[in-house]
Amino acid sequence: MLTYTDFLLAMPLFSLTVTVLLIIATEAARVGRARFSQFLAITGLLVTSLLAGLNLRESGVAFQGMIATDAASSYLTILLSLAGIVTALVARPYFEHRDAHRGEFYILLLFAIIGMVLMASANDLITLFLGIELMSFCLYVLAGFERTKDKQNESALKYFLLGAFASAFLLYGIALIYGSVGSTNLDAIARAYAGISNQPLFLLGTAMLIVGLGFKVAAVPFHMWAPDVYEGAPTVVTGFMATAGKSAAFAALAIVMIRTFDIGGSTTADVLALLAAASMVLGNVVAIAQTNLKRMLAYSSVAHAGYLLAGVAAGTAEGFAGVFLYLTAYTVTTLGAFAVIGWHERTNDEGTSLDDYVGLSQHQPVIAAVMALYMFSLTGIPPFAGFIGKYYVFMAAVRADLTWLAIVGVLTSAVSAFYYLRVIVMMYFRERDGEHIPLPRIPVMIALGITAALVIVVGVLPSTVLQLFMPAM
Amino acid sequence: MDLYTISFYMFAVLLLGSAIVVVFSRNIVRAAFALMITLLSIAAFYVLMMADFVGIVQLLLYVGGILVLILFGVMLTNRQISVDIREGAIQTIPAVIVTSTIGGILAGAIWSTAWPMREAARSVAATAPVIGEMFLTTYLLPFEVASVLLLVALVGAALIARRERKS
Amino acid sequence: MDLLEPIIKIAVVLGALLTASAIVVLFDRKFSAYIQNRYGPNRVGPGGWMQSIADVVKLVMKEDIVPKAANRFVHDLAPMISITVALTTFAVIPFGDTIPLFGKEYNLIIADVNVGILYILAMTGMGVYGLTLAGWSSNNKYSLFGGLRSSAQLISYELSMGLSLIGVIMIAGTLQIDDIVRSQTGYWFGWIPQWNVISQPIGFITFFVASFAETNRLPFDLPEAEPELVGGYHTEYSGMKFGLFFLSEYANMIVSSALITALFLGGWHLPFAETWGLDPLVLALLKIGAFMFKMFIIISFYVVIRWTLPRFRYDQLMNLGWKVMLPVSIANVLATGVVMLWLTR
Repeated sequence: MLTYTDFLLAMPLFSLTVTVLLIIATEAARVGRARFSQFLAITGLLVTSLLAGLNLRESGVAFQGMIATDAASSYLTILLSLAGIVTALVARPYFEHRDAHRGEFYILLLFAIIGMVLMASANDLITLFLGIELMSFCLYVLAGFERTKDKQNESALKYFLLGAFASAFLLYGIALIYGSVGSTNLDAIARAYAGISNQPLFLLGTAMLIVGLGFKVAAVPFHMWAPDVYEGAPTVVTGFMATAGKSAAFAALAIVMIRTFDIGGSTTADVLALLAAASMVLGNVVAIAQTNLKRMLAYSSVAHAGYLLAGVAAGTAEGFAGVFLYLTAYTVTTLGAFAVIGWHERTNDEGTSLDDYVGLSQHQPVIAAVMALYMFSLTGIPPFAGFIGKYYVFMAAVRADLTWLAIVGVLTSAVSAFYYLRVIVMMYFRERDGEHIPLPRIPVMIALGITAALVIVVGVLPSTVLQLFMPAM
Repeated sequence: MDLYTISFYMFAVLLLGSAIVVVFSRNIVRAAFALMITLLSIAAFYVLMMADFVGIVQLLLYVGGILVLILFGVMLTNRQISVDIREGAIQTIPAVIVTSTIGGILAGAIWSTAWPMREAARSVAATAPVIGEMFLTTYLLPFEVASVLLLVALVGAALIARRERKS
Repeated sequence: MDLLEPIIKIAVVLGALLTASAIVVLFDRKFSAYIQNRYGPNRVGPGGWMQSIADVVKLVMKEDIVPKAANRFVHDLAPMISITVALTTFAVIPFGDTIPLFGKEYNLIIADVNVGILYILAMTGMGVYGLTLAGWSSNNKYSLFGGLRSSAQLISYELSMGLSLIGVIMIAGTLQIDDIVRSQTGYWFGWIPQWNVISQPIGFITFFVASFAETNRLPFDLPEAEPELVGGYHTEYSGMKFGLFFLSEYANMIVSSALITALFLGGWHLPFAETWGLDPLVLALLKIGAFMFKMFIIISFYVVIRWTLPRFRYDQLMNLGWKVMLPVSIANVLATGVVMLWLTR
């Protein structure tokens, strides 16, 4: 039987669903323009994060064990809502500029967030899979939102085909795990784990699960789609995809691998560590060669997936905390960076090349400063958010006897400094000869303000943030 | 061998044979037809396992719905039915290696697993009421999420396929 | 396993269905002639009543022409799919109450599947193949248009067809058609038969309209709209292959009228017949008669409508399907649920 608690624990999901239905209704009735949908979406996301905030100190399973709400999932809901708000703020100027501002964007955005929240609070492999599919469907369509542009079509189609392929792996993995455990419930799997963790069937299921989720987080060797999709998709969507999408997928990975499977020290952990090392090396090295900023950040996101995987491979509560903290840092930083790129991008899709940023500080000193802040944070320079994330993740890896992985991480971080700082060099130490770009509109300024402030806050007060999702630590 | 075993092996051969045709056929229409036989055999498997509801739904959705869409796609995009849809030999060898490795691992895992055996239900009990009840109790949330998923597919399809609005 | 019983049933039903199709073809022509104030077929046999047999003989004798550019295999396959689907659908429809013969009770249904309704919907879905493939394999633009139109039409109306049945399923609480018929044998206030047409009027209407679309009858016969498409999907067919399409069209009509009878008109239920104190065998035969009579009424309705309403335009057809039928049938499901909840409160 359903009780009041069930609904209370799933409140963020309900508020999101109600909001999106409201937007669909107003869109269908043509009551408001796309702006009204944007307003509704942001309001709904604010309400959702408020409700999730109320759930921060609650924990329990709801809907017959289908979802589990706790501090971590509520915290991630807030983070995802924040990513949604920033994306919604940036989306209007971006699409209006291109004459492609449509209410459907917000519908799909909110649906994607529903899927992500489901992933972050999944307590059953079925819920997890449905959440992933819900998110992916929306992202496939969003990647080709301006459907008259060939590049976006290519991006959407590539993402869709490869994503469907990955989903098949994921589903097969779930089926095999169900076959060896006899249940899809994560609690039941956790109870049975000790007895079956060496069963070939179960290991095979886990491997397929890793393939499926590895695709969603763009870890090497399942990263091939990322550069093309990230470059082709509308920049606002890329930003959302790279941050919220990755956060939700990593939350799911952390929940399954650390909380359910307890992989610490096992072969699975070693496999994940290998994937992590490969992602760090490949992502960072290839990013150096990129001249397009979107493409560069795509490879950088592959590298960041590597750092995050190091936290998962540690397999400890510390690693779990590290992953969540890193996700926070990565999300706020990358969202801001993509907001800047979206502002700088011209309607003909030019202006994303590194050369276009030459001497930006002379024209728009504030924006250049904010962008520099993001780049410092992505490199992992203290006292910004990125540093804290890396610190916690590598710490967890060292404590879990994965010192070599932490060393690889630190070394590749040093490599990454080259291409992140190159952006700053371009902006500050070269003469401007390009066109003058007017200041971004107010919503973009607000978005930049929020993300920049959070980059500093998370960097300075990590323990406060940690307290939010890990009350015990 | 009783009728049950005979039909099991018959459908197994049909399933595998038609699946092989799907993969290897050079003719895209023939591949689509073979896929129809594959899907029908899967429906037959469900029925053999006394999951009549799932079997019929398989028929209704895959054979009656999805495959029609595939055929539509084939018919509208290509008039030449003998188009070669296969890649050259450069792709073949790695593909063979990868698939045989995965297949070998899968077969090994399936072979070495001690499957919990259970006497097959030989009586036809109506499964639809049980499934319906489960959807509204234990699996209420996934059921509703699945409907949300369909709504998303609808919105997305409408977005991609709509007529361009004149501004 | 006793295989004899189903084989005999199949033989009887198949024979009856094929004969009935021939008769319905003739009936259609005669009735339409009457409506249009002309004679209709009147040359073969007394009053022209042997016309159908002559037609079949003619079709069998005709040369089977396959266009040069056609895909031979698919071209042959398409009519077979059409007729198979049309004939096998009848397997789950009960055409009478149990009949006592040779000291044993026999069910008058070939396969009492417990997901009968889904089986019928699945089969209807398969019917799309016949028409689509026929249209495509002929390698003729008119045929292709006909085939595409038919599949779009069938897919659109299948939805409202399935949804309009939900109300019936909710009332009966089963997907088994035999049980649905039995659930209609009671009486309200002791004198109104509990037929679904009374408790589900909206479901009945939407299902009836959808069944017109599913059988490609006027006013929904766009797949073969003669003025624009020559003959639609079967333009390039001749001889018995054309005959099979023709036959399956009428067989479909008979099957859907049987289905409407079973699901909405109480099937073989003959009101108050059980109180007349008849011999069980006579009663059973009477019930079969009642079933056939109800079917006949529906078929007559099909014919009358064919000669009353003009053909829809394609966009009207789609609008009706998606913007009227679908919402109405969904609303019907909702209303049925609310009323049932209220009644069982």
